[in-house]
Amino acid sequence: MKMIDPHVHMTSRTTDDYAAMAAAGITALVEPAFWLGQPRTTAGSFVDYFNSLLGWERFRASQFGIRHFCTIGLNPKEANNPKLACEVIDLLPRFLAKDGVVAVGELGFDDQTDDEAKWFTRQLEIAREFDLPVLVHTPHRDKKQGTIRTIELLRSLNYPEEKVLIDHNNEETLPIVLNTGCWAGHSIYPNTKMDEHRMAALVKRYGTGRMIVNSAADWGISDPLKVPKTTEAMRALGIPEESIHEVVWNNPVSFFSQSGRFDVADLAEPPAIDRSLLYEANSVLRGERR
Amino acid sequence: MTMNDSVRYRLQSALQVRTSGEAARWLEEALKEAQRGSQARLLALYTEASMRLGRLPLAAHAGEHSTATLEGLALEDWTLEDAARATFLLARADSATPDLFEADARACYEMGDAREQQSWLRAVGLLPAPERFLALVVDACRTNILPVFEAVACGNPYPSRYFPDRNWNQMVMKSLFNGVRLERITGLSARANTELARMATDFAAERRAAGRPVPADIGLALSSAAA
Repeated sequence: MKMIDPHVHMTSRTTDDYAAMAAAGITALVEPAFWLGQPRTTAGSFVDYFNSLLGWERFRASQFGIRHFCTIGLNPKEANNPKLACEVIDLLPRFLAKDGVVAVGELGFDDQTDDEAKWFTRQLEIAREFDLPVLVHTPHRDKKQGTIRTIELLRSLNYPEEKVLIDHNNEETLPIVLNTGCWAGHSIYPNTKMDEHRMAALVKRYGTGRMIVNSAADWGISDPLKVPKTTEAMRALGIPEESIHEVVWNNPVSFFSQSGRFDVADLAEPPAIDRSLLYEANSVLRGERR
Repeated sequence: MTMNDSVRYRLQSALQVRTSGEAARWLEEALKEAQRGSQARLLALYTEASMRLGRLPLAAHAGEHSTATLEGLALEDWTLEDAARATFLLARADSATPDLFEADARACYEMGDAREQQSWLRAVGLLPAPERFLALVVDACRTNILPVFEAVACGNPYPSRYFPDRNWNQMVMKSLFNGVRLERITGLSARANTELARMATDFAAERRAAGRPVPADIGLALSSAAA
């Protein structure tokens, strides 16, 4: 079965991961801009990071037959650095205009501070200007309250809910999100957040409408094969193939297609693999070039 | 003698007892240079402390626990490099103007590796006018490097003295989330508040809904409601 991983930080992963994802049926992915584990102290680091998402990482993915899309935004953790936040927000229009940028994000709440609320709001305004969907991170701590605040903020701005994907849901927050018009993302992790069996149970209970599954794999303990593993868990629970296809393909396609930059026809055909190709004189090959 | 002076005196005498030979000579010179030298020298010494003094505990044996826990400062967790770095900054504060001192102290943190940042965060409450570093210390809690987080959250009186409720509550919740024992947080019961109890209650509900264990010490945050 063809699958999309609609949230995975490939910058932190190896070519082995790309190969395993492709072998497991993942043909496209979305890499949201987030923080790197170590706080950045200058806006220049963001310029290089955004450029690597649009350049080198997209090229790397293509070498394994995977289409790479990304989202660009200021994450909530680094939104708490006032000087940095101002400078990064000023950079966003330049990058949001680019092809393959399918949403603004990740944005949202982390510690739920006033600064986070301010830059969350500002980025929603920018997303509206660019007519792009938004990918919203929800906090690890005080998640339920953070999700409620997120929805209150969206509603206070009258933001079109069908253009919002609220991510990292769990048993407590999912019913709250499904009560709105927003899409509900689930990050399937080895230890925290959500696992594939709990996820399958949620699909069985709530159906497939606006339900999205991702690995959110990054530099922490995580697994880029969690979307295929969730597919297996759904099968094991007797969920029909059409329903599984809704969750791991149709839903992310429908959501990100709202950007006008997520071409479904194009997706049906994976990029041709030619590993002798170079990106700015670099190849994914190591010393095995002809 | 103020509380901070007395901690400083303890740090210096503990360092004297624990160092000898080459290390002791280096430390004596370094202290003078930290006070009067350029910022570049201060940064170099701040870094060098680990290689010169190592990471041996400041209090070598259990009988010396009386030197520890001055106003909730867990000196028993400190290493020789932590103590040396703290005395460097305190010496610097003696001779620099307040503005220059602040710039020098910030540079030590911002240019520091994870160990240097831990040393810095453990000592921040001893620095003159420590409230000026509040934003920095709050931001340090956002780290994913657990030992750096623990340098703020555990055995350190700074958060309970200076953190606003919102940041305090985030710190306690992050401790719960990461399996850091709440009893290690200085001033937990004194900073009890109903919002924290609400957050801890929600956290327990979330864990139960996920079929996951609730940390055994969550009661220390929940008891906030009654306090």
